[in-house]
Amino acid sequence: MQSHLISFPASLRALWLRLRAAIDPGRANRDFSAELQSHLDMHIEDNVRSGMTLKEARRQALIQLGGFEQTQQAWRERNTLPMLETLCKDIQFGLRTMARNPAFTAVAILTLAIGIGVTATVFSWIDTVLLRPLGGVTDPQHLLTLEAVTANGAYIPNSYPDYRDFRDNLKLLDGIAVTHPAIFSIGKDDHAERAWGELVSGNYFAVLGVSPQLGRVFSPQEYSDKPGAFPIAVISDRYWRSHYNANPEIVGKTIRVNQHELTVVGIAPPAFHGSIPAEAFDLWVPYMEQPTLNGVDEWMLRDRGDRNMLGIARLRAGVTMQQAQAELAALAARMAIADADMDQGMSAILLPLWKSPHGPQGLLAGPLRILMGVCILVLLVVCANVANLLLARATVREKEFSTRLALGAGRGRLTRQVLTETLLLTASGAALGIAITPWMSRALQALMPPGQLSLSLDTPINLHVLAFAAGIGLLTTIAAGVFPAMQAGRTDLNTRLNEGGRSGLAGRGRHRLRSALVASEVALALVALVCAGLFAQGFAETSRIDPGFDPNHVLLSQFSLATNGYSLEQRKLFSRRLKAKLESVSGVTNVAYADGVPLGFEPSWWEDLQIDGYVPASGENMKTFRNVVSPGYLGLMHIPLLDGRDFNEQDDENSQPVMIVNQTFVQRFLGGGSVIGRRVHGWGQWFRIVGVAKDSKYHYPNESPVPYFYVPFRQIYRADMNLAFYVRTKLEPMTVLAALRSAVHEIDPSVTVFNPIPLKDYIGASLYPQKLAATLLTILGGLAVLLAAVGLYSVMAYAVAQRTQEIGVRMALGARPRDVLNLVVGQGLTLTGWGLAAGAVLAFGVARSVAAIEFTDSAMGSGAKLMGSPASNPAIYAGAALLLCAVGALAAYLPARRAASIDPMRALRTE
Amino acid sequence: MGDKPDVWQGTLALMVLKTLETMGPQHGYGIARRIEQTSGNLLSLNYGTLYPALLKLEQEGAISSEWGMSENNRKAKFYKLTRSGRKQLERAARDWEQATAIVGRFLSPAEEA
Repeated sequence: MQSHLISFPASLRALWLRLRAAIDPGRANRDFSAELQSHLDMHIEDNVRSGMTLKEARRQALIQLGGFEQTQQAWRERNTLPMLETLCKDIQFGLRTMARNPAFTAVAILTLAIGIGVTATVFSWIDTVLLRPLGGVTDPQHLLTLEAVTANGAYIPNSYPDYRDFRDNLKLLDGIAVTHPAIFSIGKDDHAERAWGELVSGNYFAVLGVSPQLGRVFSPQEYSDKPGAFPIAVISDRYWRSHYNANPEIVGKTIRVNQHELTVVGIAPPAFHGSIPAEAFDLWVPYMEQPTLNGVDEWMLRDRGDRNMLGIARLRAGVTMQQAQAELAALAARMAIADADMDQGMSAILLPLWKSPHGPQGLLAGPLRILMGVCILVLLVVCANVANLLLARATVREKEFSTRLALGAGRGRLTRQVLTETLLLTASGAALGIAITPWMSRALQALMPPGQLSLSLDTPINLHVLAFAAGIGLLTTIAAGVFPAMQAGRTDLNTRLNEGGRSGLAGRGRHRLRSALVASEVALALVALVCAGLFAQGFAETSRIDPGFDPNHVLLSQFSLATNGYSLEQRKLFSRRLKAKLESVSGVTNVAYADGVPLGFEPSWWEDLQIDGYVPASGENMKTFRNVVSPGYLGLMHIPLLDGRDFNEQDDENSQPVMIVNQTFVQRFLGGGSVIGRRVHGWGQWFRIVGVAKDSKYHYPNESPVPYFYVPFRQIYRADMNLAFYVRTKLEPMTVLAALRSAVHEIDPSVTVFNPIPLKDYIGASLYPQKLAATLLTILGGLAVLLAAVGLYSVMAYAVAQRTQEIGVRMALGARPRDVLNLVVGQGLTLTGWGLAAGAVLAFGVARSVAAIEFTDSAMGSGAKLMGSPASNPAIYAGAALLLCAVGALAAYLPARRAASIDPMRALRTE
Repeated sequence: MGDKPDVWQGTLALMVLKTLETMGPQHGYGIARRIEQTSGNLLSLNYGTLYPALLKLEQEGAISSEWGMSENNRKAKFYKLTRSGRKQLERAARDWEQATAIVGRFLSPAEEA
């Protein structure tokens, strides 16, 4: 019946009016009192008229009304939203309380802001790098990474022929596309600009489900495997706006890319940045343009060994990843047999996008995971701190609570009040924390290695991060507020009132709780410190590792001559001429060039070898890492030749192919005896070993020795290889940059020197994940110690203040200041001791699990450990414990000194 | 007074609306008295319960209120039916009659059978 009376808008209108009244209930309340009063007056008058005495008339009227107060209460409940009203009152009251204790409020809010801000920052990175699916694509959750797997289990990129087999044979996938991230130079000759882009299979946009905002993407006719047939490009929204002023007429026009004309067919939507999370690409060109744009020979597109394509697959609706994986594995197994010369023992695997070992994810996944852990640690310390502060304050407010309880306030009501106050604190802290998040995010970005990746990490605060921060804030509220709230609810009325607020003696339970909180803070700080110490040590150890070459005084610069339309022969000639020019520059001692740079970010390449006189075990991985180097490379790098000779200019295109191998290569494949003159087969031809080089580090500073070999630049260099140019000087490496630039300009004014960087800085990138972990952990560890110190100090200071009277009595009875000092500091140290004991156990466990975390970079992912040393370094534990003891002692000493200086008489008179 | 039934749950709003329709603008006390009279003093009405009900109807826009002078010159708040209140009354009355008719059929089944 009732429900028929209310139409929906009417009930909404009622809700709105109640909400409004809840915020300002005053006037309506006065109005209703008057109405009720007039009601009573009329009733009384009627009653008197019917012959009652005035007293009886009033009594009857009140009875019939059901009580003045009760009626008013029932009306008020209908007029407002009672829940909301009390909440408003709680908030108003909480704000007043906060304003009355500015020091407490400031410390609590700042502490919370730090904890929440740091956590939100790290989460926003995790969100950008690992969690957020690609922007601007359809159903990103159905996209998967497709990786080839080597016989020894490493994930590696795919080759174009692999892609064709996958594309043509897999039925459970809704398409598979491949991409090859590349640098392009766009524009004319000497004012060409560099841009990051992707060389992609024709179906790339179709598989990702990207629709252009203007023009078109690649059409099905352009999906073909015909080299050079489609000189077209799609450009990013960002590039379109920054370089073409968002002019729609660019569609259909040609732009000059790597000295070739490409027609812009469309503009990608603003949200689309390419197919690697957190990286921003500006240009997409069909991979089949490789021969035109980069001078890559057409046969290389058909070379299964040329693995430079990242695969992205779209799962067909209704198919599980396991089913697709099974189909892929079966196909890969067939391919491994059919193409045994190249793919023996290989397999393939589908991974969620964020597990891709390439790009930022592979690099940052490990450090970010650790960071998140540490953030949670810091957040726990923050919670313990705020809980402590609240507890201390709850004690001060005991009288207030007791009085309110005595006046009839419900315990639930008091509990809610305390929780509301905590919520206010955390909300303010969270707001402040979020406000500093972008700033901290930029600081984190500054720690990124220079120039290696084109990251689009201008992480704006998004809903994920906000929701996360809000969740963290809520959890903090509960964690930090629940103890004080419980205490408020438990306040024992009789004891409190009888003691007249002399609470220092009574709250034993509370005292224990606070002690536990302080001890746990110390424990958490110890964990943070120990981890920071271990990482810093690991970083220091790794940096001290001798890489086996000398990176000092070497200037490294990389050329992308292909983008200038150089043919292979022209590139080789350019390198030789540049080398000759530079060798005559004063101060330059060596000049060399090579394909790869050791300990860098670039992938390292290998060749499948057969070794004369070595019979591989069944399934043995004969893919061996290599570098293609010019004569003089080993000398420049100070890598000693142990036997034989270096390459020279006679090792050219027409002479017998030669090779230099490293010590581990010799030990593993060649046994004893002289190895000079032995034969090794690769690239379809036989090489003769002419030298043995000392082992050095190639991928990670702490890698174990790997077989490695060098081949001469003139004999093996191919169009798809890099060109890294090395100049060793007597002085600072950057001093020869001017000479390098002018030498390059003399040879060809249109070639620019890209990324000149001291080799020492460049290889620092290989330490990046460790550096990141060590730096941030040191910062966060310091923060944890600082917070623990604040917590310890505030609790000790508070405890002393509570015991003023007791200490006064002790001193009146003859205790000397020193005794008081000992007493208080002793208690502080006892708490610290308990915390340290618990923390040591915890830290050991945490360190052991963290030590297992690996990272990988875009080089072949032989998992490198983030933490260099085993988790149990007694010196680090002892050092951290000592530091915390000192902090604990100081935190206790300051209030103790104050206590010792108390005038006994004044202390006794307090209260 | 004790053995009189309380106003049935949910019918108070209907009674208020009908009262206002019959009597025109009326103050709370007057409405309470009128409901009691109309029931032939068979219903027990706690006058106080009327006010939350009036407030609810006013929040929903079925009635509006205004301060005015009572018959014996007292300041009192007068309630009157709004247009939407009139519609609400028609609908509620129809529903009520239908409901009582249905219940009535259950209680006197002999005629149909």
